[in-house]
Amino acid sequence: MKRRSARLLTLLGGVAILGAACAQSTPTASTVTVTFWHGYNPEETKVFNEKVVAAFQQAHPNIKIQAQAVPYDTFHKKLLTAIAGGQSPDVIRADIIWVPELADLGALVALDTAMTDFNTYSSKVFPGPLSTNQFKGHYYGLPLDTNTRVLLWNKAMYAQAGISSPPATIDEFTSDVAKMSNGKDKFGYAEGGTGGWNFLPWLWTFGGNVTDDSVTKASGYLNGPDSVAALTWFVNLYKSHQMGPSVLGGDPHTDVGYAKDVYANVLDGPWMVPIFKAVYPSKTVDLAPIPAGKGGSSSVVGGEDIVLFKESQHKAEAQEFIRFMLSRQTQVTMGNIGQMPVLSELAGSPDLPSFFAVFQQQLKTAKARTPSPAWPKIDDAIGTAVTLAIKGQATPQQALDQAANTIDGLLKGS
Amino acid sequence: MASSRGARAVSLRGAGEAALPRPLALGRLLGPRARGRLTPYVFLAPGYLVFATFMLYPLAKALQISFYHWQLMPGRVSQFVGLANYAAVLHDPISWVALRNTVLYAIGTVPTQIVLGLVVAILLDSIVRLRVFFRTLYYLPVITSWVVVSILFKYVFSSDAGLANYVLHDVLHILPGYIGWLQNVPTALFAIGLLGVWKGVGWSMLIFLAALQSIPKEMREAAAVDGAGTIRSYTGVIIPLMAPVMLFVLVLLVIGSFNVFISVYLMTGGAPLHQTEVLLSYMYHQAFDYLDFGYGAALSYLLAAVIFGLSLLQVRFLRREVEY
Repeated sequence: MKRRSARLLTLLGGVAILGAACAQSTPTASTVTVTFWHGYNPEETKVFNEKVVAAFQQAHPNIKIQAQAVPYDTFHKKLLTAIAGGQSPDVIRADIIWVPELADLGALVALDTAMTDFNTYSSKVFPGPLSTNQFKGHYYGLPLDTNTRVLLWNKAMYAQAGISSPPATIDEFTSDVAKMSNGKDKFGYAEGGTGGWNFLPWLWTFGGNVTDDSVTKASGYLNGPDSVAALTWFVNLYKSHQMGPSVLGGDPHTDVGYAKDVYANVLDGPWMVPIFKAVYPSKTVDLAPIPAGKGGSSSVVGGEDIVLFKESQHKAEAQEFIRFMLSRQTQVTMGNIGQMPVLSELAGSPDLPSFFAVFQQQLKTAKARTPSPAWPKIDDAIGTAVTLAIKGQATPQQALDQAANTIDGLLKGS
Repeated sequence: MASSRGARAVSLRGAGEAALPRPLALGRLLGPRARGRLTPYVFLAPGYLVFATFMLYPLAKALQISFYHWQLMPGRVSQFVGLANYAAVLHDPISWVALRNTVLYAIGTVPTQIVLGLVVAILLDSIVRLRVFFRTLYYLPVITSWVVVSILFKYVFSSDAGLANYVLHDVLHILPGYIGWLQNVPTALFAIGLLGVWKGVGWSMLIFLAALQSIPKEMREAAAVDGAGTIRSYTGVIIPLMAPVMLFVLVLLVIGSFNVFISVYLMTGGAPLHQTEVLLSYMYHQAFDYLDFGYGAALSYLLAAVIFGLSLLQVRFLRREVEY
């Protein structure tokens, strides 16, 4: 017994040493690790890891991609902490509204000077998303995916009210919303918050604007008559119980309310279609452009850019990864899970989900949020104005006057 | 007793040079007395090093940041602005709202935790069977994660059919409709305070229970002989004897209540319109959403000053010597 276990031990020891020796000899001469933070949701992360990272690894065995799914809500804070501590990742998938701020901080590499073939890529992407990388005369990144919000109309609730098609104009929308609200637990429309992402589609659709074209002042724009009309309309929906409680953070959230036929209309992005398919398989999602008003049918441009950090020790390898992320193959793979590609050659491609059509149409008139490093504070000012007006603590005019005044100061300061 | 004598015997034997292993070179240089004086510091050093790295250095750094328009990027030059950050905090209406909410939280949760903690401790002290079981039960919220219970409470106080709305409206019919607990300032502060009390009672209970059990039996017997009933013996004898423990609990609870953060950050995030912000959540917001680290650091130092002043006042005016 004793001798047998001793022999076994020797054998195991031998195997262990052999294994260790093998493990040491497998990696090629020098493997470089590139860290990549992204805010992909769990469904997207799965596809990203299994298809994109795996394919890159195969093509570049000497570059190891260490991908980290950082939840969107904590991404900004985690990133800033990492930057301050000198521990920033090599590459991130940054929300387009963070790029001016990160560039202003001095954290990013200007890709247009660092990447020799930058023009090859910048000429292949849509100009709108590309422009979100621009800050003070340089491009600090490349677009990775783009999106916008469109109307998700709840066919079941529309049918119950005897309506068969989505509204084309604000007037139709307003009367449809009224028909589908019961003043208690059914709401014709629901919004997920009061910030720019939430309110600006309506502001622009009503013909309003946040600032002048050269982004120098908000007074006369954010508190102009069209902007005030938009907010007045928005507030009236809430006051007449036609807008759900989610706008002020109440429950149910827009997606849950839509799935459970509590909300008849919400605005949302292309990533929600695969999410609905996974979470609420019995609920179909019906899409339509945002109903048109005085300013046409407008919406807000969202999306992400891919940026490289100055701190990165492996810039060449990181750039290789950026090129791979902009390849047709990767763009199509991620496109099929709801990440709209930025390559212009893919517009209307049969390789992509057909529901992209509505989003692509909406993107033609969608607008970008104010490109300024002070955007977080500008967003806060807009959110404050909308909340004050909804709660009846200020008239829409007063609330927007105050916000315009605040934003004027912020634009001067930056 | 026996063990302490044994220890002395060992040290006496240790004084004989032959029994010792070769002393360190430094020790031999210094001689036995200096060596004896040095020993405690050698043992203190590792702990102090950790304390200095993770407490003193950040404290000093934050003080420095509070006087600058701080640049986040390492290597960029920050601009010295003197007391401007402190002035900005004091002129910001939201920081006063945050202070108001913090004080309300302290007023609402500290006395409640002391009273409930004391009541539970007295009840537990008077039972023998199942005491450990109930003590553990009451202490459980204390050791659970703030994050977990904050998210749990967020669901309890959901504006939809959360537990609170369900019980108060659907079961008891007290409310005419569902309430947006976390969307309105008074109800949101109430929910946050309730979480604080629920999570904190176990801690004061444990301290009070320890104090109750350390009061000599003779005291209770003497009170009983003198004719004091149960209530009288508590109000007249036992609770006064617990005064130093009360002060300890009070000071620590006040400090704790001024440091409330996770529950607020997770349950309301300061919304609506920063009206449910407390000092620390607002500090966090300024530093990490607006990148205004100078403002955040100044706010932290002002908060520290308030806590220091309050603690000093409490100790100064409430301290009482007690002898058994």
